[in-house]
Amino acid sequence: MTIDLTRRAAISCALALTALPVSAQETWPTEPLRVFVGFPAGSSPDVLARIITDPLAERLGQPVVVENRPGAGGVIGVQQMLASAGNGHTFGTTINGPLTTAQRMLESTGYDVAEDIAPVTLIATSPLVLAVSSDAEMTDLESFVAAAGAEEEALAYGSVGQGSGAHLTAELFSDEAGVSMLHIPFTSYAEVTTSIMGGEIDAGFMAPSAALPFVESGNMRMLGITSAEPFPQAPDVPVIAGQAGLPDDFRAELWNAFMAPGDTDPAVIDRLNTEITQILEDPEVQQKLLAIGWQAAPGTPAEMEERIATDTQMWGAVIDRVEAQ
Amino acid sequence: MTTWEGLLYGIGFALQPGILIYCVLGVVLGSFVGVLPGIGAMAAISLLLPVTYYITAEAALIMLAGVYYGAQYGGAVASILMRLPGTPQSAVTALDGYPMARSGRAGVALFAAMASSFAGSILGIAVLVLLAGWLTRAATAFGAADYAAMMILGLVAASTIGTERVAKSFAMVTLGLLLGCVGTDVNSGVQRFTFGQTELLDGINLVALAMGLFGVAEVIGNVRDPDRQAVAERIGLRAMMPGRDDVRRMGWPTLRGGALGSFFGALPGTGSTLSSFLSYAMERRVAKRPERFGHGAVEGVAGPESANNAAAITAFVPTLTLGIPGDPIMALMLGALVIHGIQPGPLMLEARPEMFWGLVASFGIGNLLLLILNLPLIGIWVAILRIPFRWLYPAILVFVCLGVYSVRGLTFDIVAVAVIGLAGYLLALARFSPALLLLGFVLGPLIETNLRRALLISRGDPMVFLERPIAVGFVLASAALLIASLWQAFRRHTGPDRPRTT
Amino acid sequence: MRRDWPDIWGGLVLAALGAAALGWTLVHYDLGSLRRMGPGFFPATLGALLAVLGLVVALPAWRRTGASVPVHPLAALAVLASVVIFGLGLSRLGLVAATALSVLIATLPAPFAGWGWRIALTVIVPALTVVIFSFGLQMTLPLWPRLP
Repeated sequence: MTIDLTRRAAISCALALTALPVSAQETWPTEPLRVFVGFPAGSSPDVLARIITDPLAERLGQPVVVENRPGAGGVIGVQQMLASAGNGHTFGTTINGPLTTAQRMLESTGYDVAEDIAPVTLIATSPLVLAVSSDAEMTDLESFVAAAGAEEEALAYGSVGQGSGAHLTAELFSDEAGVSMLHIPFTSYAEVTTSIMGGEIDAGFMAPSAALPFVESGNMRMLGITSAEPFPQAPDVPVIAGQAGLPDDFRAELWNAFMAPGDTDPAVIDRLNTEITQILEDPEVQQKLLAIGWQAAPGTPAEMEERIATDTQMWGAVIDRVEAQ
Repeated sequence: MTTWEGLLYGIGFALQPGILIYCVLGVVLGSFVGVLPGIGAMAAISLLLPVTYYITAEAALIMLAGVYYGAQYGGAVASILMRLPGTPQSAVTALDGYPMARSGRAGVALFAAMASSFAGSILGIAVLVLLAGWLTRAATAFGAADYAAMMILGLVAASTIGTERVAKSFAMVTLGLLLGCVGTDVNSGVQRFTFGQTELLDGINLVALAMGLFGVAEVIGNVRDPDRQAVAERIGLRAMMPGRDDVRRMGWPTLRGGALGSFFGALPGTGSTLSSFLSYAMERRVAKRPERFGHGAVEGVAGPESANNAAAITAFVPTLTLGIPGDPIMALMLGALVIHGIQPGPLMLEARPEMFWGLVASFGIGNLLLLILNLPLIGIWVAILRIPFRWLYPAILVFVCLGVYSVRGLTFDIVAVAVIGLAGYLLALARFSPALLLLGFVLGPLIETNLRRALLISRGDPMVFLERPIAVGFVLASAALLIASLWQAFRRHTGPDRPRTT
Repeated sequence: MRRDWPDIWGGLVLAALGAAALGWTLVHYDLGSLRRMGPGFFPATLGALLAVLGLVVALPAWRRTGASVPVHPLAALAVLASVVIFGLGLSRLGLVAATALSVLIATLPAPFAGWGWRIALTVIVPALTVVIFSFGLQMTLPLWPRLP
């Protein structure tokens, strides 16, 4: 998967030669952009990518083709982006997993985040909500922590898979709250929801958009949210930080970001960052993102790099504890 | 709104030109795309998804649903004519449909598939309308233990469909179950049998497996056969139409298959696959001469086709009433609603009754259109069989490759088809049933995760399978079936050896 | 006596596969306990079961007569090579060239003399493929060879 040095050198030489007369920034893009998404068409990360790529195509004056390469929690998308890289018109969007925890969860991802990935900008973030059945006796975070702490594995929670954001968030929460819950992995929020409603499991950390319809219908209740501020889509749900003995800086967010292969021309990255940041400032775009559960979070490439580093460290520590159990 | 009012309203809604056109577009596209090997509803819907941005949510859903059930009609064509099933359901159709085609009865097989698909859909629609509430409760009442027990029953019941010795059938199911273990283990996150290949983390690609075992293996077996071509087939309405005997044979299987499909389809998971196999197994069991199965028994086409089309309709029950998609295709359709700002969930139906009733009515209209569209096409499909095989198979191979590639765009999967094709050819030489392998492959991961999940939730108490009323029913039924089939095998083994046939 | 070789070989290969899966599982994956079945529990059970079933298929076949089975190694080689070449060539050679090459190789074992029909196919099939998949289904496929 890693392109060997000589080929990479040859490519950058070739690029440098063709770019000699005018600077890359003025001529780029010269052909349609390909944006790899590691999730299937119609999934939340795919819809999110398309919300960005449509206006992006208009601004750049070139078509932007979304290429869905689903698999391995988004890792395949990153790999395929890197495999098709080399012409300066190949990019990708990804959720946080492939850039932060995948290196720890998988035998081999075939890429090195620091080497092979050039951050462009964060697109949006999403907190998770702690949801329980509306039949449950737990009505707030205090009573939840009390119930969970009654004995080891008194409560069972569902996640969307070993090492998923939902799983690691729950483990972080348990650790900070000093409780131990039983982890039941599922493959989708739909399964977690059914299981909570059927009374098989007690709780789950879920994407707000997955939980909200069932809260509105009276099947589920949300006890807390993992962001620092209340989430616009569910303003009544209290933040977890600072409650029920949890630290004030308790925070766990998923994010979605725009990335480029590591050898992309910095001028191109700057241009993309400017365009996408401006797109994300459009209230209509922000509204569209919120409707699918994401809050726009534009920033600089450096900020994204920073976020990758801090999250890799934070989740790495959680994984260490899970593995030690 | 009462059921009757709702239906009338829905029919009126679905017949509006602005809606009807998308229904027509969906079913036509679905049934054509379904004919292409390996390109199923999933690929076609992904393809149409960008189009749905520009039309209303109802039109979008109706169009995508049309692609979904339309592709089932098309899939039957490819399985019957060329033994190219893209899904496990159509692999069941190929079991008897393809032998029928080889013996010059392709027209009858196609007619049986179309007619029973239509009948199954209508049955599914009736169940959807009348029993949606009850089925919704059933879907949420099913816990991990119940699913595990149900899948085991399905596996045991369907394992008897092989035409060879019982040990060979069980061996194929077991191999399928084992192949189903490849990939990331849901419960522990451990990567099993992946050998460092990221492409295997989500398991072996199902379409690659089906295409390799059936299509590629069949091509290899026929390339050197100079006579393999046109089965002399008269074309014309008379040859296409089944005789009175055929029609008589199709009736009950269609009804039974439709009933099975309607029930299992509503449970999130693989209702469609399970009910096709169960229907086939059931027909074989009740048949007076079960030895005809596998050699062109029309019941073996009618029952499963009715079952998988009924299941395709009732699969919308949890999707629409709870916003819980039962399979990836349903998830994709809900994704299309999300694009339109509709949050699928339990309240969606109350908020938008026109969507539910319009969709239900469009099912009826769409299936009628499919029948009208496909019956005249039978003549053309049969005519393809008159083309010498050597003109067809290179294109079949390339189409298979692209069909597999369309699933997730990885050339790894194409190379996998070659490896699986070799295995499939060897299995075919030794007369092992690839359909059973496919069944084990599909049900295996579901059985394993649900079994382990049930034991986790019960904190390790195996009594969970005997305490829940649903689970205990399935467990007892599986035990009875298993003992019965082992007993039969034992008697057959000690009795005179059966003559071996192809 | 002509033994039932397909069943003997088939059974033995499956038994070997089962045993291999069992061995690999025991070495690499945790079996766990009943409460927490490990990732190895299922594959180990299935591997053992397959090994037994393979033997149950193979052993009785030893004492039984069976029909001979025609094997076509050349056909298998050409067909599989055609698939592999298409898979490996698609991204580099592009759809048109990969299809043409793959079609040509696939036609080699067919028992019909002459190159006319073969060459005709290498023109017809790529054209069909481009029309159906690239234009019709709008799949994003490279049509022409990718220059380095």
